[in-house]
Amino acid sequence: MLMNLFCSSPLLAAAAPRRGFWMPEQASTVSGEIDSIFMLITWISVFFFVLIVVLMGYFMVKYRRVEGHKSAASPSHNTPLELTWTIIPVIIVIVIFYMGMTGYINLRSVPVDAYEIDVTAQKWGWTFQHPSGAIETETLTIPKGRPVRLMMTSQDVLHSLFIPAFRVKQDVVPGRYTYLWFEASATGRYDLFCTEYCGTGHATMGAVVEVYEEDEFEEKLEELLRWIEDIPEERLFVAGKRLYNRCVQCHSLDGAPGIGPSFRETHELWGQERRLADGRTVTVDENYVKESIIYPAQDITEGYGNLMPSFRGQLRERELRALVQFIRHLDRFDDEGNLLEEWQ
Amino acid sequence: MSTLSTHPSGTNYLNHTRGIMSWIFTLDHKRIGMMYLCSVLLSFFVGGMLAVLIRLQLWSPEASLFTQDQYNQIFTLHGAIMVFLVIIPSIPAALGNFVLPIMLGAKDVAFPRLNLFSYHLWVVGALVFLLALVTGGLDTGWTFYTPYSTDTDSAMGGVIPALTAAFILGFSSIFTGMNFIVTIHRLRPPGMTWFRMPLFLWAIYATAIIQVLATPVLGITLMLLAVERAFGIGIFDPSLGGDPVLYQHFFWFYSHPAVYIMILPAMGIISELISIHSHKHIFGYKFIAFSSIAIAIFGFLVWGHHMFTSGQSSLMNVIFSFITFSVSIPSAIKVFNWLATMYKGSISLNTPMLYALSFIFIFSIGGLTGLHLGTLATDIHLHDTYFVVAHFHYVMMGSALLAMIGGMHHWWPKMTGKMYSEFWGRIGCGLVFLGFNLTFFPQFMLGSQGMPRRYAQYDDYLPETVQLFEFYHQLSTIGSLVMAAGFFLTAGYLLHSIFFGVRAPANPWGGRSLEWQCASPPPHDNFAETPTVGDCYDFSVLEWDEKEQGYTWREDVPRPGEEGTG
Repeated sequence: MLMNLFCSSPLLAAAAPRRGFWMPEQASTVSGEIDSIFMLITWISVFFFVLIVVLMGYFMVKYRRVEGHKSAASPSHNTPLELTWTIIPVIIVIVIFYMGMTGYINLRSVPVDAYEIDVTAQKWGWTFQHPSGAIETETLTIPKGRPVRLMMTSQDVLHSLFIPAFRVKQDVVPGRYTYLWFEASATGRYDLFCTEYCGTGHATMGAVVEVYEEDEFEEKLEELLRWIEDIPEERLFVAGKRLYNRCVQCHSLDGAPGIGPSFRETHELWGQERRLADGRTVTVDENYVKESIIYPAQDITEGYGNLMPSFRGQLRERELRALVQFIRHLDRFDDEGNLLEEWQ
Repeated sequence: MSTLSTHPSGTNYLNHTRGIMSWIFTLDHKRIGMMYLCSVLLSFFVGGMLAVLIRLQLWSPEASLFTQDQYNQIFTLHGAIMVFLVIIPSIPAALGNFVLPIMLGAKDVAFPRLNLFSYHLWVVGALVFLLALVTGGLDTGWTFYTPYSTDTDSAMGGVIPALTAAFILGFSSIFTGMNFIVTIHRLRPPGMTWFRMPLFLWAIYATAIIQVLATPVLGITLMLLAVERAFGIGIFDPSLGGDPVLYQHFFWFYSHPAVYIMILPAMGIISELISIHSHKHIFGYKFIAFSSIAIAIFGFLVWGHHMFTSGQSSLMNVIFSFITFSVSIPSAIKVFNWLATMYKGSISLNTPMLYALSFIFIFSIGGLTGLHLGTLATDIHLHDTYFVVAHFHYVMMGSALLAMIGGMHHWWPKMTGKMYSEFWGRIGCGLVFLGFNLTFFPQFMLGSQGMPRRYAQYDDYLPETVQLFEFYHQLSTIGSLVMAAGFFLTAGYLLHSIFFGVRAPANPWGGRSLEWQCASPPPHDNFAETPTVGDCYDFSVLEWDEKEQGYTWREDVPRPGEEGTG
């Protein structure tokens, strides 16, 4: 579902670097260095592991108990030997620590000219806002070869933003800003995960990072700002379908109740009264839907909990209108969300 | 000498008194230890079945068996049961309770009533934990991270009962630790100086210190959390003016040392098993003993390495990373010392020894992959992925729990008075070993390739990613079934041995610590008179006795305390 969104040029896939056995694609400027530290530690580990297991296996066979054989006398301690196998590991781990520290300092030192994107996390999705005001949720569109800094905060519980191909991860904490930065070194499409457990939809709280060459990136950015403006007013409900991807985790289109009421049910109640959890009723209309997006705690539908985060500031006026039109005209879509033929 | 009688004549601790009440309200450390063992194994069964459900769910990328909410509850219960009800009490409270006083030549622990109270607290804790399931379920993960856990709209309703349960279980753990510290200080027999104690006792001692010093912090933290959730007092929730990262500091200040509550006693068991089954003096006794204490001390100073991506300052990350590496050294020392113990030994490949060798294999992998995680630059990538899951299962399950199973086989003849089938024992150990590695090794690749923890499904990502994850998950699921088969086989032949097993001799393996000098099973008060001990790793004084089918003291060697008196 995520992958089909924002169909990207076939060239992108061809240019993508390959996965290794241990590590995913190297798609950022730091990934090469981090992978070489990882592999160094891995080879040191393999060396010690093989040493231990080979010795163990050899002793198991050579000194296995046979009839009449007694354990031979050998010293029960040997201080120089024991100091050796204390001091050599000490030296090795100090070297590993130092390499890990310098690599980490790189990860935390943001270049001054970084392109800055605001990230808001909430159950269970991401909002990425570009300096131009362009907002995206299912994808994170970034340029290749320019440092990018993500300034992140959460609306509700802890989340964590993880892009394996870039080797970066940072928890997203409510009530404070955290940051991370990277510079993509290869165009392509990469997974973005939430790696801090955040409840029901944790496993599907992902997005796709799309890396473009600089000029193509500017075009994409332009399109992100413009796409909804290009859709004529009377077709705005089609734009709402695209925005619905933010809602799909909790609101179905086929009438099945989810974490929130199905949009099909809301649509069918259009113009009529809906019973609320506190016993009041409310008329389902444009205002009600818009208010519910911006102030979700205000009118909780009977039978549901106060679980929806506010989308205030994350949707522009025209986008809000598109969503309202989408629900109002849901009869033009089938249960899977496909536009019926007569409306295409 | 009656204390050393190898022919169990008359009563032992199992038939000393009869009736269910004589067990529930017993003050005998052996009976309490056995009740702990049964309770822990029952919990292990429940937690293990939940683990199999997790593996079955992840066989296919979509949420096939359970909904996301159900899966979240299953992994939470698996983690909480395995940590609080199984691994933490497994070695100290179950095996430790049985063995420790006998190893000391004592009649019981220093405070038998407190010991019984610890067990009763464990039972109450487990029952309160069940209450969490009927009051709305628990889906916070065993870590109870805030603000998720304090937000009543997010976490399910069972948080407060679960916190209460962990709080009660914490006290059970504290009391056991206190009891053992006092017992080791006060009840050592004549001749047993600190450096003549069996290394298992050093390990239990180091563990007890951690239990007493760290567990109260967990209790306070969980109480703060409950207060925030119940009364909305802002401590951790930023919307009430609190700080969620503070919770992580408090939580890991206990839960990192808790990792050593799990692994230190396991290392103690391995020191015993390797030395006894190699029939050779332990190598580097003092280095092993001091490394236990070093691990206990360093273990308190590294909690921040669970929080490298949490948003704590970069300087703190660097400091915590540095101290973290210091813990790897004493662990490495122990492994090398165990190998040196085997050198020129006379190694019996009995089931307990096979578990000990499996431990060395598995713990080496678990320990060495800790280097990847202690290193800052690589941990950022690996944090909260399956690499971490694989790492801590290698240490906690493959090392701590298998050592416990190995120790159980080692002391089984002593505890039950019966021998189990060596043939099935070896096969069971082999299945568990193979199944374990097949389950968890693929998870290293899964994690380094980016698969995050605690995912109920993984179908929502790029097709190539999903395909790769599916491959490794399926390997892992197959492994878990092999391992489950191994454990069921083990349960089968152990139960069989209770009813049909051959009567166990006092000393089937050739151990020299005091528990091998009293009958199997031991009489109610262990020793009629306090024995005197010598070097418990000097096995030259023992010889195989064909008639006895066990080891006995050589006729030509005087017993300690008898030298000079003629």
